[in-house]
Amino acid sequence: MGAIGSPALILKTVGLRKRFGGVRAVNGVDLAVPASDVRAIIGPNGAGKTTLFNLMSGALSHDSGRIYFEGKEISGVPPDVLCRRGLARTFQITSIFRRLTVIENVQTACLTHHRRQYNLFRSARRLYRDEATALLERVGLGDQADRPSGVMSHGDQRRLELAIALAGRPRLLLLDEPTAGMAPRERHELMRLVAGIAGDTGLTVVFTEHDMDVVFAVARRITVLHQGAVLAEGAPAEVRANPDVQRVYLGQSPEVK
Amino acid sequence: MHAIANLFPWITNGSLIMIQVMSGLAVGMFLFLVSVGMSLIFGVTRIVNLAHGSFYMVGAYLMVTLVGILPERPWAFWLALCVAPLGVALLGGVIEMTLLRRIYHRDPLMQLILTFGLILVIGTLVLLLWGPDNKSVQRPESLAGSVRLFGQFFPSYYVLVLVLAPLVAVSMWLVFYRTRWGMLIRAATVDREMLGALGVNVAALYTQVFVFGSWLAGLAGALAAPTVAVALGMDSDVLTNAFVVVVIGGLGSFAGSFISAIMVGLLQSFGILIFPAISIVLLFALMAVVLIVRPWGLLGRPEDH
Amino acid sequence: MARPALLAVAALLALAPLVLPPFFLQLLTEIAIAGLFATAFNLLMGFGGMVSFGHAAYFALGAYASALLVKKAGLSMIAALAVAPVLAGVGALVFGIFIVRLTATYFAMLSLAFGQIVFTVIFKWKSLTGGDDGLLGLWPPDWLKSPAAYYYFTVAVVGVAILALHRIVDSPFGSALKAVRENPRRARYIGIDVRRHQLLAFVISGAFSGLAGGLFAFYNGSVFPDFAFFTKSFEPLVVALLGGVGSFFGPLAGAFGFKLLEWAISRQWPVYWPLVLGSVVIAVVVLLPRGFVGLAEVRAWARSARRP
Repeated sequence: MGAIGSPALILKTVGLRKRFGGVRAVNGVDLAVPASDVRAIIGPNGAGKTTLFNLMSGALSHDSGRIYFEGKEISGVPPDVLCRRGLARTFQITSIFRRLTVIENVQTACLTHHRRQYNLFRSARRLYRDEATALLERVGLGDQADRPSGVMSHGDQRRLELAIALAGRPRLLLLDEPTAGMAPRERHELMRLVAGIAGDTGLTVVFTEHDMDVVFAVARRITVLHQGAVLAEGAPAEVRANPDVQRVYLGQSPEVK
Repeated sequence: MHAIANLFPWITNGSLIMIQVMSGLAVGMFLFLVSVGMSLIFGVTRIVNLAHGSFYMVGAYLMVTLVGILPERPWAFWLALCVAPLGVALLGGVIEMTLLRRIYHRDPLMQLILTFGLILVIGTLVLLLWGPDNKSVQRPESLAGSVRLFGQFFPSYYVLVLVLAPLVAVSMWLVFYRTRWGMLIRAATVDREMLGALGVNVAALYTQVFVFGSWLAGLAGALAAPTVAVALGMDSDVLTNAFVVVVIGGLGSFAGSFISAIMVGLLQSFGILIFPAISIVLLFALMAVVLIVRPWGLLGRPEDH
Repeated sequence: MARPALLAVAALLALAPLVLPPFFLQLLTEIAIAGLFATAFNLLMGFGGMVSFGHAAYFALGAYASALLVKKAGLSMIAALAVAPVLAGVGALVFGIFIVRLTATYFAMLSLAFGQIVFTVIFKWKSLTGGDDGLLGLWPPDWLKSPAAYYYFTVAVVGVAILALHRIVDSPFGSALKAVRENPRRARYIGIDVRRHQLLAFVISGAFSGLAGGLFAFYNGSVFPDFAFFTKSFEPLVVALLGGVGSFFGPLAGAFGFKLLEWAISRQWPVYWPLVLGSVVIAVVVLLPRGFVGLAEVRAWARSARRP
């Protein structure tokens, strides 16, 4: 908890609203994420999770309400500027540079992190290769550095996207359905990796997820969305015991997708 | 105020302004006929026919030939005006069936390159068939003079244009909104796959649309033949203007083509009065403004731009 | 391209004037200029994923700028060739601001339209550009007047320019540009200002195209409005596609083949050249199932260049 703009809160939204035509996708969301939190945002399909992510990462503009990142309002700030300020994101459908090699993917992210993208004179082949290699090793892709990224398995591509996002040394990482399309064991592996990195570096992670086992294994706090608003929020045990949450999820299998 | 009146002596002359407006509208009508064909073809087939200006040119040249071979009778002009666009429609049909059909599934880039190549091929064929000299077509007797409009003289031929083109536009509107074929066309611009799934012969529809679009371009060219020098640069001149009209109005939008064709026509008409070459700059400025405010054109679809 | 191959080519080029008659030196000069134009164009197409159908505008701006600087401002040829690309780059900046925000189809159409606008301005502004008559009497200084001398000069300048473009493609700027081409949205989310990047690529491409135009102006001795006409815009596109847009040196190879073909046909039957060119291109598009070499990169842009 903290006052609006308090630096202890890395991300805060107040009364966030977004509608598409007649649909109120996000309908008054108040979110407060303290630094170093590992926050899961869960909710049934159509609860507004992806829209919320799009609003927070600069992909969409909200109709009303406010969003604060590290105490500063970020309405209308485009994604590339947000990235430079320390907010990174991955997508539901893996978004990488398929025709570049694995290491080139990360090298490119490193060189934009170091603001070198307007340099016309140096050769970029070796630039930040060490930094990129370290990142790849951290996500378990060290041995695939020179493969074209498009031929890797789905799970490995997800890890690559994670490495790309981390290359920008973000302080807040938004992961939109990071484990979609993965087998249960892979999901746990990936999220444990993410939690591990967050623990090591103090990175704040906010992710959406449908697999409750993963959520309860990894998340420090959980926010439950329902019909565009926050239904419940708290530590995993509290949320699990919350009768409203049980009612909303009653009859729905853990793997909603 | 006096300075402005000296620079633009016509500005205080109300009837002169009205005449310029009418001329601008007439020019706009030619542009509309060409642009709406291009826009329609894009709306249904998703191909930008870069050779559309070439079709316009062929329409004009066919008009020259037809008027030349027909006897000098009052009805000759009108017959030629009917037949020339049909010739272009035939050309369009042949091109669609032999070439375009094979590339509908290909990248937009390859489609653009192919139609770009067509410009060169058609241009050379026109040169070979008609020679490098400028040609002309005489206006028919009945329309050779002028009428008095707002106290000024206005070419009678332009009256034909101002009557015929909107007639074509209204007919098109009726076809699109009152006939089954028109409904299919409108449906195709929104969702082609669905149409195929419903059992409509989409391939035939594409051919029909392309033929119709070519006919419109040919009509514009035939209609324009008595008012401009029929020459080899016609295709690129009209193409540039058509692009501007279509970009401002929005690719695929009928009403958009109409409105922006009028805007461009008026701009050109008044631009010439200010400074001969300024119409180009004004065109550029107008296009720039539209692109900044609405990159997909006034009435276009955002997903197309 | 491997070092030994490059050196071999350089050696051949250096020795050419000793064995070849002036006729062939002129052909090689034209090939070099066309190669530079196509390579500059390919920075935008193959590496940036943006296909311009009106690139002759910048070639012509460079040619006319050189001509005017020498004839009206009294600059030397060398000075003119240094300034002309800057002016062409400015032209690219002015047009680029409006069109880099557009997707494949609109970008193609408007680049074509802007090219024609440049043509029309050159054509109509008779007092400045001589209109249809063009500007004549544009010759290199005496020490570069012979075919062999101008050949060496052109090859040297083109060589340096190609090396510069190569360095740019290999630079961090080039990496970011490739990223933009591959996945504009992902590029944005790693901190790249996509539009600014594309605009810069457009300006660099325009500037180097202007240099090619300037070199051609002095080779030709005169400049004409049709330097900006869309048929000239077709040339770097066809050359790049023939040589392969996926590789850096592809367009140079394409220029070689293209110019040979052009010389063969337009010397004998100038009327038929556009017909041959158009037909060949149509045939290749229709008959080659996967299109030209390396086109896959460009497709990524045509499909994915939505607003990220």
